[in-house]
Amino acid sequence: MTRRELLTLAAVTPALRAKEAPTAPVAVAKTGSYSEDLTAILSAMFDKLGGLGRIVKGKTVTIKLNLTGSPALRFEGRPLGVTHYTHPRLVGAVAHLVGRAGARRIRFVESCWGTGGPMEEYLLDSGWNVRSLAGAAPNVEFENTNALGKGKRYARLKVPGGGSMYPAYDLNHAYEDTDVFMSMAKLKDHATCGVTLALKNCFGITPASIYGDDAGADEPNESPTKGRASVLHFGKRQPARSAPPELNPGSRREDGYRVPRIVAELAAARPIDLALIDGIESVAGGEGPWIKGIRYVQPGLLIAGTNPVTTDAVATSLMGYDPAGSFRNCDNTLKLAEALGLGATNLKRIDVIR
Amino acid sequence: MLVPALLTLSLAGWVPARWSATDPATLDLVAGTPVNCLLMEEPSAEFAAAAASRGIAVLAVVRPGGDTLAAARAAVEAKLAGLVLEGEFDRAMIARTREVLAASKLALVELPPRHLLRLDAPLVGTSHAVWPGVQAQPAGAAQAAPTGGPWIDTNTGFLRYLRAATEAPIWVANTPPPKTVLPVARYLQAIGDAAITGARWVVALDREFNGRLLAGDPAALRDWRRIAAHLKFYEEHKEWRAWPFHGQLALIQDIDSGALLNGGVLDMIAVKHTPVRPVPKAKLNDEALRAARLAVTVDPASLTDAQKEALSGVARRGGTLLSGPPGWKFPAPRADQIALDKPEVEKLNDIWRDMNSVMGRRNLGARLFNVSSMLSNLLASPDGKQVVLHLVNYSNYPVENITVHLVGGFARARLLTPEDTPRDLEVYPVAEGTGVDIPQAPVCAALVLDWK
Repeated sequence: MTRRELLTLAAVTPALRAKEAPTAPVAVAKTGSYSEDLTAILSAMFDKLGGLGRIVKGKTVTIKLNLTGSPALRFEGRPLGVTHYTHPRLVGAVAHLVGRAGARRIRFVESCWGTGGPMEEYLLDSGWNVRSLAGAAPNVEFENTNALGKGKRYARLKVPGGGSMYPAYDLNHAYEDTDVFMSMAKLKDHATCGVTLALKNCFGITPASIYGDDAGADEPNESPTKGRASVLHFGKRQPARSAPPELNPGSRREDGYRVPRIVAELAAARPIDLALIDGIESVAGGEGPWIKGIRYVQPGLLIAGTNPVTTDAVATSLMGYDPAGSFRNCDNTLKLAEALGLGATNLKRIDVIR
Repeated sequence: MLVPALLTLSLAGWVPARWSATDPATLDLVAGTPVNCLLMEEPSAEFAAAAASRGIAVLAVVRPGGDTLAAARAAVEAKLAGLVLEGEFDRAMIARTREVLAASKLALVELPPRHLLRLDAPLVGTSHAVWPGVQAQPAGAAQAAPTGGPWIDTNTGFLRYLRAATEAPIWVANTPPPKTVLPVARYLQAIGDAAITGARWVVALDREFNGRLLAGDPAALRDWRRIAAHLKFYEEHKEWRAWPFHGQLALIQDIDSGALLNGGVLDMIAVKHTPVRPVPKAKLNDEALRAARLAVTVDPASLTDAQKEALSGVARRGGTLLSGPPGWKFPAPRADQIALDKPEVEKLNDIWRDMNSVMGRRNLGARLFNVSSMLSNLLASPDGKQVVLHLVNYSNYPVENITVHLVGGFARARLLTPEDTPRDLEVYPVAEGTGVDIPQAPVCAALVLDWK
């Protein structure tokens, strides 16, 4: 991204431009495997951030998982949780802790790839024990946000300041009907965005029923079967007309330009209250098995924070990259989010708690 | 006197393996395994006698181009148990060979190319088959099929059809890909790929493995024991071979509508883990369709009025009929053809979309979750007391956390595997009937369920 583009972006958010982006501490824990006492490790991390109770007690907590790509696609036949999906044991530990901290309801969400069917079935296909997860805390629910799901209508979440790509996004009701929104991501490189962490994970809150390649021209397609390349990645077509169209269809049609901006805007439209990044086991070189040349890695890390930008900045740094620097094939999502006033990327301004 | 004694062992009881060693001492490797039938190139009378003394039948393999009748006479002379004609032979020559062998009560096994398979043979077999496994791309990623998951090369589709079409023993005698050294799991997959449809794979080892085994290499011996354990697993439950297919989807298809081709409709349904009852036209009647809630006809134009009437019965009982449009038909296999050609695969994609839209997420007997690298087959005991869900895992890792949702109420579920003790699993109610979670599945497994 050029300085001029950054200034242009900042110009659409004049209220935020003048002040420095907020910062918040980030907790990091070394964790060797998913067999360790994840509940104890996470509990200690959340305590260092001020405790979960102050955030979730009496609240509806919506947790966006990272279950990218079809569950049928495995890297080297390995379980999805040790490569490119959030690991189910970590999810179970989070459910237990959030429930123990007094959450009124826990709703796990994901726009499940290529389907508008129940998320529970998608999780079963991913090798998760849904019954066990549902019993990890009181009032655990699941919602596939790739379509209308259990809602009666789509929620229109506006981008503060009007947006630069879309003025608002039509999303599953779960993203509106919640008190607390948590992004539970995987620590991964990303072919389009450089890295995929707490911010990029929320690109997946967009329903393919509206933003998918087989979205209806006028109305949502409630049985989506495809990804979002045509609409969001490359801008080859508009979303279903029921949703707000692009602000500037003449803008660049490259995914390295579009996707980082959309991700930043989504984080502004649907603020992330809690970020947790699963870096215990993962893949490097790309976000999933459809990317050639990826490899299995064991970073042995958990990273958590209450600000997704500072959390992603620390995670990016731990991956060996400069979170405030230029990315090779795309604009820097973190800097775009910072320009929107969502959080700081300067590591000197971020308190890292080990 | 030993040869006639061996002949009392019916073709149905033979557990076959290709064997290259000529030293009778190598029979020690076979002892203690279920293998009791060796397919050999020019076996000696000495070897055959030594094998017979251990209750092992020896068959000489003959291929086109040689003197078949001379080979038959040599087999009689060497007191073998029989002859295997592998490849394409003239029908008249087969008949004359059979006459020569019959006089001495030797068996004749035919392993013709796929297009010459005879359903009325006493043993139905072919060596024209794919080597089972997940198709790998150079980078190690799995190849995507129209269903979105990794594509599994399997013989289960055409073997299902054969199982439905004949009660004869079925052999699939494919050999490992040339110049390839395979991990033992690939052999276990080949055993399971045949066994879950009631067929037997003719064990055949790659050259490197075979050499190490005959040399007594400890690792090769360990792998051989695992192969034997898997053969034993299916032989200990040989009754499963005769159990009929269970499920509510009937596929009416025959040789003249693509039933013998790999990568066809049966394979597509298998990838979706929908239990299917293949129904050859000759067996299409009310009884065959009694349990069907969905019946798919690949070539409706070829049905008789009575068969069409039987199909109408499915609709009258509230089921769904899906009839293929004109052109929805694959030709019978050409010589040397095993799998669908590219244009036929493209046609299949269209057919698959139609079938998929009809089947949707309906549970037609069982729905399986987290099984993208596996294939399954659902069978029911004739006495109506049990069903068995066969599972074969084609990946390099054990699959964890498989969930099965079965239609109907089951009181008990037990997981049987070749290399572990049986394990009772919890059954719990789900919307369709009964749920079972399988914590881990190795290469081959069978979930046995007792009806309430």
